[in-house]
Amino acid sequence: MSKNSFLMVLAQRLGMVIFLMGKLLRFGFFIFFLIFLVKGTGTLAGYSLNQTVFFFLTFNLIDVLAQFLFREVYRFRPQVVSGSFDLILTKPVNALFRSLMGGVDFIDFITIPPLLVAIYWVGKALDPSSFQVMLYILLLANALIIATAFHIAVISLGIITLEIDHAIMIYRDLVALGRFPIDIYREPLRGVLTYFVPVAIMISLPSKALMGIATPTGVLISFIIGAVALFAALRFWNFALKYYTSASS
Amino acid sequence: MSKYLAVFKISFAQEFVYRLNFIMWRVRNVLQIFLIFFLWDSIFADPGRVVFGYDRAKILTYVFGLLIVRSIVLSTRTIDVPGDISNGDLTNYLLKPVNYFKYWFTRDLSSKALNLIFAALEAMLIYFLLRPPFFFQQNPAILLLFFLAVFLAVVLYFLMIFIFSTFPFWYPEQAWGSIFLLFIFTEFLAGGAFPLDILPPLAQKVIYSTPFPYLLFMPLQIYLGKISFLVGVKAVLIASLWVGILALILKLLWSFGLKAYRAEGR
Repeated sequence: MSKNSFLMVLAQRLGMVIFLMGKLLRFGFFIFFLIFLVKGTGTLAGYSLNQTVFFFLTFNLIDVLAQFLFREVYRFRPQVVSGSFDLILTKPVNALFRSLMGGVDFIDFITIPPLLVAIYWVGKALDPSSFQVMLYILLLANALIIATAFHIAVISLGIITLEIDHAIMIYRDLVALGRFPIDIYREPLRGVLTYFVPVAIMISLPSKALMGIATPTGVLISFIIGAVALFAALRFWNFALKYYTSASS
Repeated sequence: MSKYLAVFKISFAQEFVYRLNFIMWRVRNVLQIFLIFFLWDSIFADPGRVVFGYDRAKILTYVFGLLIVRSIVLSTRTIDVPGDISNGDLTNYLLKPVNYFKYWFTRDLSSKALNLIFAALEAMLIYFLLRPPFFFQQNPAILLLFFLAVFLAVVLYFLMIFIFSTFPFWYPEQAWGSIFLLFIFTEFLAGGAFPLDILPPLAQKVIYSTPFPYLLFMPLQIYLGKISFLVGVKAVLIASLWVGILALILKLLWSFGLKAYRAEGR
């Protein structure tokens, strides 16, 4: 499936160049703004320029990884509306796996290596210990588990309501609130972004762990939230499947 | 005229077909404003602080103004045009006694009307929730200039989308790519993510030589009184000039495009 997806993108090279250029421009514009902003103000919510950039890079890594792996989610709704989801359900492949990861995004894949280099480069300047680096990687994995849970919830919602085109984009907008350290938000929004929509746990906590300012309780809670979110999303998927009507097929 | 009125009414009604979808779109707009609001709120936590020539009241008014001006200028249905061209649906319109540009401009107006109603309600709600300081412009001449700048921004954005939409005439399989690029330019170069005058002078000079700042940034600068009345008039004149230039470019591209159009998919 991934091979087919890569070949499809390569077949339309112009499109690939346009989208890649767009993504790089967006990244470039934002980082330019961020650097200029923090240089002008000194700090952002008490974080230095390096730390702020690291939060932004971590957000980008999680966002890009989720888009790279779960691009098929963006094509899920038409399958439910047209009834062609039948063809997935009847094939000898896990329907959830196929609907989530059936078409990885090659364009996002290209952007991952330079992003990793940038994270290494900026992260190294923060002088973390080996334990902090290990915790950062573990929390990144936990963030991906939460992202997976979100994507499962979105496609499940798509089966039940049919109407939601923007649900996945709302997820991305919510995650985008983690572009900056979560500390810039006031309560009760900060609480919502920590426990209800765990953007803080997905984006800010890994960065804070690398900087050595994450609390052990916060780390423990984040892993519990990751496990609960995945469990709840899988239950929701099984529940939603019962509402699939196979209409139009 | 009556047929375009009918298009307006139908298009307005169509927005309510997928109501949840529309609500989700508005939620997205509010979330985007939240990000910018809290960013600046944190920077201007000290009420007396002045950074990049902005105080707390002015920067937060800029953010609230963005919510309203974005809903007027950037809400559009014209993004469906590249799809029409690439899948051959354009043929349907070419055969009908309607002006294709007027048809989409009417649909845009209907989308803007609906979005404006919701944006005004959201702005009020956010205002009462967050209670930010707000700068009310009371000079009627400046307000008039602001409305004129917003009207020109609406026309400019319409022309820009149409220009970028001509791309599928030559590359039908790339209906969405060019619009994606336009969105990115608009977000950053129009002042949708941050006020442009916080950037270094050289970057500002480069950006001001494009039509993008006249979409969001200049109308808001006029409202905030950040530029003098005369400079505001000059900005409106430059925006009018851009309207003329882009209309010419569109006319040329459209006539070349129609010659290349193969109605693929029909």
